[in-house]
Amino acid sequence: MLRKKKERKGHEACSGCGVCLLSCPVWHGTRAMSLTRKARAKAVQGGASYEEIRHAIDACLLCGACEKACPEGIGLFDMNMHQRQELNRQRSVYPRWYPGGNMEPRCNGGNPKTGSLLLAGEMLGRDKDLCDAVIGLLGGPNRTAAAVDDGQEIARFMEAGLALDTERVDRFIMSLRPAGSLIVAEGLLHRPLRKWLPDKKILGPGEALLSTGPLRSCIGPEDLYMIESRGYHSDHERLVLFYDRLRRETGCQTNLDLQRTAISTGASSLQGRTDLKAAGCIDNAKRILKGRRVRRIVVEDLADAEAFRQATDIPVIHVGLLGSRDN
Amino acid sequence: MNIPLIKSCCTDEKPVLSDGLWSSVGDQTNPCRWDGEQWASFVKYLGAKGVAVQEGRADSSVYVSDAGGLAHGMPHGVVRPSSSEDVSEVLKAAQIYQVPVTTRGGGLTTEGESIAFGGLLLDMSPLNRVLAVDPSEMTVRTEAGIFWHQLAETLRRDGLDYLSAPLNLTSSVGGTLGVGGIDINSPRLGCSADQCLALKVVTPTGEIIECSEKNNSELMDRVLLGYGQFGVITEATLKIRPFTPIIMKYFYYSSLRTAMEDLQFIAKEDCADYSGILTIMDRAINLLVAFDSDERESQFNLRWRKQLRGHGEAGFGLRAAGYYLSRPWKFQEASYLIGRRLKLFPEFTRPEYMHENKIVDRTVVFSRAVWKFWGGSKMVIPDLAAPQEKFIEAVERGNEVCRRYFRHYTLYCVGIKLSNRRERYEMSCIPPDAQDIAFGCEFEPMLRDTNYSRDYLQSFKNEIYDIGVDMGLSYYRFGGMMKGYIRKVFGDDLVDRHLAMKKKADPAMILNRDVIF
Repeated sequence: MLRKKKERKGHEACSGCGVCLLSCPVWHGTRAMSLTRKARAKAVQGGASYEEIRHAIDACLLCGACEKACPEGIGLFDMNMHQRQELNRQRSVYPRWYPGGNMEPRCNGGNPKTGSLLLAGEMLGRDKDLCDAVIGLLGGPNRTAAAVDDGQEIARFMEAGLALDTERVDRFIMSLRPAGSLIVAEGLLHRPLRKWLPDKKILGPGEALLSTGPLRSCIGPEDLYMIESRGYHSDHERLVLFYDRLRRETGCQTNLDLQRTAISTGASSLQGRTDLKAAGCIDNAKRILKGRRVRRIVVEDLADAEAFRQATDIPVIHVGLLGSRDN
Repeated sequence: MNIPLIKSCCTDEKPVLSDGLWSSVGDQTNPCRWDGEQWASFVKYLGAKGVAVQEGRADSSVYVSDAGGLAHGMPHGVVRPSSSEDVSEVLKAAQIYQVPVTTRGGGLTTEGESIAFGGLLLDMSPLNRVLAVDPSEMTVRTEAGIFWHQLAETLRRDGLDYLSAPLNLTSSVGGTLGVGGIDINSPRLGCSADQCLALKVVTPTGEIIECSEKNNSELMDRVLLGYGQFGVITEATLKIRPFTPIIMKYFYYSSLRTAMEDLQFIAKEDCADYSGILTIMDRAINLLVAFDSDERESQFNLRWRKQLRGHGEAGFGLRAAGYYLSRPWKFQEASYLIGRRLKLFPEFTRPEYMHENKIVDRTVVFSRAVWKFWGGSKMVIPDLAAPQEKFIEAVERGNEVCRRYFRHYTLYCVGIKLSNRRERYEMSCIPPDAQDIAFGCEFEPMLRDTNYSRDYLQSFKNEIYDIGVDMGLSYYRFGGMMKGYIRKVFGDDLVDRHLAMKKKADPAMILNRDVIF
């Protein structure tokens, strides 16, 4: 007998416990209850339109922590994305951080045939030396290659809740099929890639790099290790154990809170990429550091590096540079 | 200053919906209790003082109900204060314009106490900074809108922890101190309110006053366990302790009475750091005990373990199997028991919260379990608080009521060590005749998928509360929709004395109206 797929609960299931807001960077940054996930659920339960709660929908940084915190198991991440899509149908004026242009990739050409493909995304893709260093640590070009099409424009459009060009998405998926595993820097792509390519192993750069012993030994108790929140929350059940082991083995501190959700700076969000300060990313970085005694910050996501550099004098490095001599 | 009493009203626009319609979304199922007179002047006055009032529906709708989910009401507006001074301005203005003010922390009341049925809602959650941690004195000074989880998060970075707090991540410190705050370590450490060393309070007339057991102690005793009647707590100094993971042990009973006797024995002998009863059914009772250190656990095993009459899981499982095999008609009951066991227990041993068989984050583990397995869009949790000698009878009588009303329910029992500050216990959850220790029991039906009518749920609560009246007990949740019991249980003399104090402190009776008075 076929087992019936468990249906995800909707807004009506929200009991208003408020556990989601404990992990919400927007709530911590603004203290505004009306901008929280809980407020949106309660407003929708009360009959509010998406237009009426547009400020809350637009404020969300899509870090994904609320979904993992929710004791009711409500599919909050998809709901957040859906609300943005629906809101876009109703409005004609968009926030200034909405992406312009189209979804076409910046470079054309086929992906190299290697075991793993690195989808570097905007920030890592811009830093060729770092990209090469990461590929080197992942076994060199014969085993890992940078994807020509890393889907970053698709991720932008998804995040904004804009309609996706299905042909473009199909081409992107096809280009990834030959690879054995995908190392994806853009955390927002982890969920859809798992859906589109269920047989593929999808990893973040942090997990891919730290799965080998040598780099782990470069991390110690005086490091704050910043886990990229979107990818982490997309595969939380598995990754919570991976990072818990990392923390125990190395003694490092992490940005996981007591609920084991990753506190995000929000720097990789569309809002953060447009204006780190206005999006509250620098304040979020300060909050993550508050009360900690650390001498180095190790980031998986280069967007976080910029937020921390503006928040503190503590040195910040990308996980891909852990083994280098200068660090 | 002669301030006239605030006018009450019941508007006709949004009357109480009948039971048949009670689950309609978007409707106010309880009447507004204030007609909005002078609201505009009040908002304007506050604006001139630099205090913004949010009036939009999107700003207010999050406060429409509380954790109980049975009462619904909308404020005219919301203030999110950023300081004690903001709170002071709000209360001063509220006295002048006679605007009711409802304070709200985590909104975890179940009888509508933190819902504004008109008037102003004061959302205290923005006041959530930890102001100072003093490891030498083992104290923390914090703003009172902070949730216990946030406080734990901050203290943990220094290897510290609070003493005891409700098993709920989003209870606020201020709200908890106002009602008591019970943890499974309360048999040893008392309620959260008794761990408070000092407070900053804004009185209903807007004065900002520091108080402690030495300084303004009368106000301190009125505000702690005072159900928000005598002031708004804006800062608190609390005792703290070094953080320790806990070692948890479970004992299983098929007799409620035996389990309760053992719970009382544990409290009396002080043989565990944490203890409490959680039932799956009234013939499947879990007595949990926990320890802060290996030494305490060893001591327990050596001296007291054998005196407890509960079984380990395997022993209990075998006995239960024998019981149900000989009673095949009780198949559904057995199936419920097994299902509950399979769902519930892994939550208490999730690997990410465990280290070397110890629970690392008990706050998170318990709170998540509470919401996941006992939470829901509607909750009724009537309770009884009794002195030691009346406790077992009270729980057994309450259990009989539960059995008549619901197929599945949970009882949660815990002890509360009492301090010698008797004044603050007057008209609180602490029974007047309790000495040294009191015991409390919550009776929580599993409502999940069944849509009971409000009348049905109210009848259930009344029957539990009638036991309290009959036996001379007290309750944790006697405010809001259950306030009809206040005079019955505390008596007119005591209530009138408190009412006189309230009128003196709050001339226009604006602060948290209809919670108690």
